[in-house]
Amino acid sequence: MTELPIAHIGHWWTSLLYLAPVLLVVVWLAVQSWRQRRQDRTDR
Amino acid sequence: MRRRLPVAVAAVVVAALVLPAAASAHGLVGKQDLPIPRWLFAWGAAMVLVLSFVALATLWPRPRMQELRERVVWAGIPRVLEVLCGAVGVAVFGIVVYAGLAGSQSPLENLAPTFVYVVFWVAVPFASLLLGDVFRAFNPWRAVARAVAWAAGRVMPAGALPEPLAYPVRLGRWPAAAGILVFAWVELVSVNRDDPSLLAILALAYAAVQLVGMSLYGIDPWLRNADPFGVFFGLLARVAPLRWRDRSLVVRRPLSGLPSLDPRAGTVALVCVAIGTTTFDGFSMGTLWNDVAPDLQQWFIDVGLSAQDALQLAFTIGLVGCVLAVYGLYRLGIAGMRTVGEGHDARELAGLFAHTLVPIAFAYLVAHYFSLLGYQGQALAYLVSDPLGDGSNLFGTAAATIDYGWISATGVWYVQVGALVVGHVAGLALAHDRALAVYRDPQAATRSQYWMLTVMVGFTSLGLWLLSASAQ
Repeated sequence: MTELPIAHIGHWWTSLLYLAPVLLVVVWLAVQSWRQRRQDRTDR
Repeated sequence: MRRRLPVAVAAVVVAALVLPAAASAHGLVGKQDLPIPRWLFAWGAAMVLVLSFVALATLWPRPRMQELRERVVWAGIPRVLEVLCGAVGVAVFGIVVYAGLAGSQSPLENLAPTFVYVVFWVAVPFASLLLGDVFRAFNPWRAVARAVAWAAGRVMPAGALPEPLAYPVRLGRWPAAAGILVFAWVELVSVNRDDPSLLAILALAYAAVQLVGMSLYGIDPWLRNADPFGVFFGLLARVAPLRWRDRSLVVRRPLSGLPSLDPRAGTVALVCVAIGTTTFDGFSMGTLWNDVAPDLQQWFIDVGLSAQDALQLAFTIGLVGCVLAVYGLYRLGIAGMRTVGEGHDARELAGLFAHTLVPIAFAYLVAHYFSLLGYQGQALAYLVSDPLGDGSNLFGTAAATIDYGWISATGVWYVQVGALVVGHVAGLALAHDRALAVYRDPQAATRSQYWMLTVMVGFTSLGLWLLSASAQ
């Protein structure tokens, strides 16, 4: 089995930082979708 | 709430900057001298994409790229030029195959590996970006097929030759996608990837398949659908501002050849294979894969495979996994666009937006292979003088060496980042333009592109992460 590379966190923690912009855009997308649905309900 | 978000983002950035840089003990430390950490480039690239998205939404209200506008700049190209280019293509093919079979079997001394992996696979797409579909002119199997057809037409009486079969519509570009995947397997997975004689035999087998295919289904239908390199290079050439049409040369705006791409079967697969295989090329050099691959290989050895077969199987899984991951990311964006409404189904949308992935395929190609072309491409200077590696000096350049100092590692990094950003902004612009044409409501078109923005940011971050991982 592959060991979880926690002990080698110095090797890969910066990889997570590449994920941050994607996560931010996904959060923004979710907020936009939620606002759109709320707007649609209000219009009805 | 609105004030808290920028504060939180700033806090994360500051925290990341003060934390120690990633350790690079498992590989050669890159010689890049960058003013900021590499991951910050990914953040910057994402910001460029978001700003581009906002600019497109506000300044680009109507579709502008759906109609192809071209201007003829050279009409009546002499037929002899076409024959000459074809003859050059056949001659080069013959030399490379002969070198592979008869020359030294050392990959660095033989012309075949460098020609196949650097000139053919990298330089031809780079040339296509500027000059259009140059490969079509030099395509050796097309030249041979056309010569045979011409000779048969003169020898045989009219109507004596059987009509070609109709190319199966359902097959579409799937043979091309499969062919590029097989080539990538040879390049990235096979342990014999640099074996000159094997490459020569594979080139001959490839040419034989193309000739049989063209004789069965006709030259043009086969080349448009099933010749993997012809189809792939032709796809990339749609980005170019030049197009070779019949016997004339036309100019057009860069990228404007892409919206007219017909989304026949296999098109999405072909582009995803191109991006996915390049992704694996970078991924396989990173620490994450190099942590996982030995365990995967060991598992296959335990099952009963030899060490070599187990390694190839592990890498095959990685290669196919990367292609599927790219396809999954694209389909995720398409699934999101579908929620916007107006009754478009996922398959229709996947086809309609397939052309937006082509600049990304290009960007990945430039980002991953620019240094290979820039450095290993120079080897051609001595390899043309000594193609067999037997000590000959045909053009007096056999003593030429590779100059690794013409561009620094930092310079290469900036070219890579620039290519990724430009490629993804181009993809975003193409997607925005197509959305305006597909959706009746402009607001729905913009909403649909939230998803494409997410996909583009995902691809950009992935591309920079791969480059960063392989540079460590």
